[in-house]
Amino acid sequence: MARYVLRRLLLALPALFGLVILTFVLSRVIPGDPAATLAGDGATPAQIAELRAQYGLDRPILEQAVIHVRQVLTGDFGRSIFSGRPVAEEIAQRLPATLELTFAALFLATFLGIPLGLVAALNHNGPVDHLVRLLSVGGLAIASFWLAIMLQLVFSMDLDVLPLRGRVDVATGLPPRVTGFVLVDSLVAGRPDMFMDALRHLALPAITLSLPGLATIARFTRSGVLETLQKDFVLYARAAGYGRIRLAAIYVLRNAVTLVVTQVGLLFGALISGAVAVEAIFDWPGLGTYAVQAILSADYKALLAVTMVVGVVYAVVNVTVDVAQALIDPRVAEDAR
Amino acid sequence: MGFRRLRAAVLAAAIATLPVAPTLAQQRPLVWGDTLPATLDPHAIFDVPSQFVLLNVYDGLYRYQGNPPQLVPWLAESHTTSADGLTWDFTLREGIRFHDGSAMTADDVVYSFRRLLAMNRAPAAAFTPVLRAENVTATGPRTVRFVLSSPYAPFLSAIPLVAIVNQRALAPHVANNDWGATWLAANSAGSGAYRVDPANYQTRVSMDLARFPDHFMGWGHNQRPIEQVRARPVLETSTRVLALLRGEIDATDSYLPTDQVERVDRNARTRVARDESMRVFIIRMNNRKPPFDNRDARLCFAHAFNYQGFNEVILRGLVVRNGGPNPNNLWGNPPDLTPYAFNLETARQHCDRARAAGAPIGREIEIHIQSELEQTTQAAQMFQADLRRIGINLRIVPNTWANITSATARAESTPDMWIHWVSTYFVDPENWVGQMYDSQFHGTWKASAWYTNAEVDTLLRRARASLDRAEREQLYQQATRQIFADSPDIWVYNTLNLRGLTRRVEGYQFSPVGSGGEIRLMSLAN
Repeated sequence: MARYVLRRLLLALPALFGLVILTFVLSRVIPGDPAATLAGDGATPAQIAELRAQYGLDRPILEQAVIHVRQVLTGDFGRSIFSGRPVAEEIAQRLPATLELTFAALFLATFLGIPLGLVAALNHNGPVDHLVRLLSVGGLAIASFWLAIMLQLVFSMDLDVLPLRGRVDVATGLPPRVTGFVLVDSLVAGRPDMFMDALRHLALPAITLSLPGLATIARFTRSGVLETLQKDFVLYARAAGYGRIRLAAIYVLRNAVTLVVTQVGLLFGALISGAVAVEAIFDWPGLGTYAVQAILSADYKALLAVTMVVGVVYAVVNVTVDVAQALIDPRVAEDAR
Repeated sequence: MGFRRLRAAVLAAAIATLPVAPTLAQQRPLVWGDTLPATLDPHAIFDVPSQFVLLNVYDGLYRYQGNPPQLVPWLAESHTTSADGLTWDFTLREGIRFHDGSAMTADDVVYSFRRLLAMNRAPAAAFTPVLRAENVTATGPRTVRFVLSSPYAPFLSAIPLVAIVNQRALAPHVANNDWGATWLAANSAGSGAYRVDPANYQTRVSMDLARFPDHFMGWGHNQRPIEQVRARPVLETSTRVLALLRGEIDATDSYLPTDQVERVDRNARTRVARDESMRVFIIRMNNRKPPFDNRDARLCFAHAFNYQGFNEVILRGLVVRNGGPNPNNLWGNPPDLTPYAFNLETARQHCDRARAAGAPIGREIEIHIQSELEQTTQAAQMFQADLRRIGINLRIVPNTWANITSATARAESTPDMWIHWVSTYFVDPENWVGQMYDSQFHGTWKASAWYTNAEVDTLLRRARASLDRAEREQLYQQATRQIFADSPDIWVYNTLNLRGLTRRVEGYQFSPVGSGGEIRLMSLAN
């Protein structure tokens, strides 16, 4: 098992190196002159040229690439040419917000999606099955920005029960920063009121973000369970007198869910990119909105760093998923040998 | 019970199980929903959002207030100018304190201007042609002398751009000869009416301000000043309007979409402040690229834009027709100027003449819009439809501010046409007509029409060098008349600033500089 984990980790390294190179190339082909943006509205061409030299933008592209790789390896992402602050610091401020939102959405998608899929499969072609199918088609088809606005209109404006935007109430503010995760920090600070406030703020963005994932997971669980139900061992188990619930929840689900776990890994990437729109609508101060601002202001340093960080997080999640899969189904680790 | 109420009741019951945050006994802070600048360093950037920091966290020697904006002595109690217009002496008020309690002296003023000039970013552009760092000196503990290298009338108008920073607060944070720029990007070292809480500052996400009780102007003008301000930019227009209606924020930005005005005004807890600003909407033509090197071609386009349709229908009459480069409400405009009107017949005649002179009217013309600014798209689409009626093919190219302004550095890369506004950076015709049509500014986005007229250059340069306001007025009028006749660009409207506010905000006073963001004048009703 340990060897399996190590192998997965090693395989992630070349992928990340490729990402460093690819993002650098991409950042240099996007249009826009970062020096001009940085110099500001009233700047003269001479001022812009000076900044270009200051940030090394006038050096040969290969030299810039080497410098970039060296910096990334040492964890130094440079200063944002937009805000003048260290990029690493800005990302550290924003990453927890995105992770909190993404994990909340992933949690909802997984722990609602799997039972829904299971129930649907057990009621194959029954009314519950139809309902779940409708939900999953809708979940994939509905655009997240539309859903977000609708949720805001209903729950914030009409019913006035959930906040419209932000991570916490502006008057109370954030709890003292320990991890950057508000849900954790509020508990560390011994402030259950802040925890509940943060949870209420998290509700709408997390629901919006989770829906497509929830739909995917429900569908995969459903088809996985249906397939497993046809297997011989289920027939034997039934013949041996296992109860319906016990059979479904333990034997069928464990066999059916490996496919779903793979999906969870893939979903995580989709969730992070989906977070861009959701964060913008709910003013969630995460990496998504940071990346958008970086693009609009041609802040390539910030953009490179965001891509790298997301890449690393994605790689870590996928290794975790591989390991989880091996734990659920030991055959996976065996096959990989 | 209708379905809507039933649905509401069921959902409310379901969600009531989630506890609600306790209500606060204290007054809720002012929540300012306008955009925050990229950096808090007042010498590193100069754009519309940065004026909020400049006005509230810092002070300048002079300040613009009111509408039309008046230049009022601020940190300086007075100034004198030598007869040749080269030497300017400013005297500071007594008893000015920075946020750390230390006293402001002439040395801080000298330091601030030297820092500005050394960093050489956007706010320095107004000074670098005429001011060298060594020519800013302290002549006494409260007196500062500026010696210009040539007479420059807009000097005083540009003085409010420069924040005076506390050099003692900055000194420990200077690294690699950076003038403390990395530190000041997320901290403050000012004397303004509010101070920044650096612990809660996050670039473009949040800035918390607390009132500075020892501000040198005192607080006698305001019985109930606002103690706490939370600046929380709202990214999406739809969320911004909803957040205002719900009272989550107290103020939107000052570009409330015209289709939202009625909705905000109708709500019992919100209103819209409408103020004529100094911000001109312009469709640029690249006068170096055919067919726009031909005057008739330019006049053809100028007559093909449906000004009334755009201003009155699309923007619901919430703007004012502005027929020249300067805003209507500024001095220096010829009183007899009749703006070009939408007339496709006249347009066609000009186009025919241009075509006869060999101008390639038939080629596809590109107009670049700023994708994130809805109005630029609307204007381009309307223009496209009308031009098609006279046989001109306009192609709309989505683009961004950053990208277009870097393209305007050279005439060849400047788009055929593009759309933008020119806001109030300083209140002087130099900010508009001066920097837009004097050929010495070619290569900057403001002069991206690449217009060249030797006579206009002379007039604008004389106006820039003269200290006689009446003479300057004359010169600007003359130059504007000539520019108008050459029709280098299409001037559309002057902005009405539309800011949504909750009704608990009192004392909001608009000025085109800073767009009404001066918090020290405001209070909150209970």
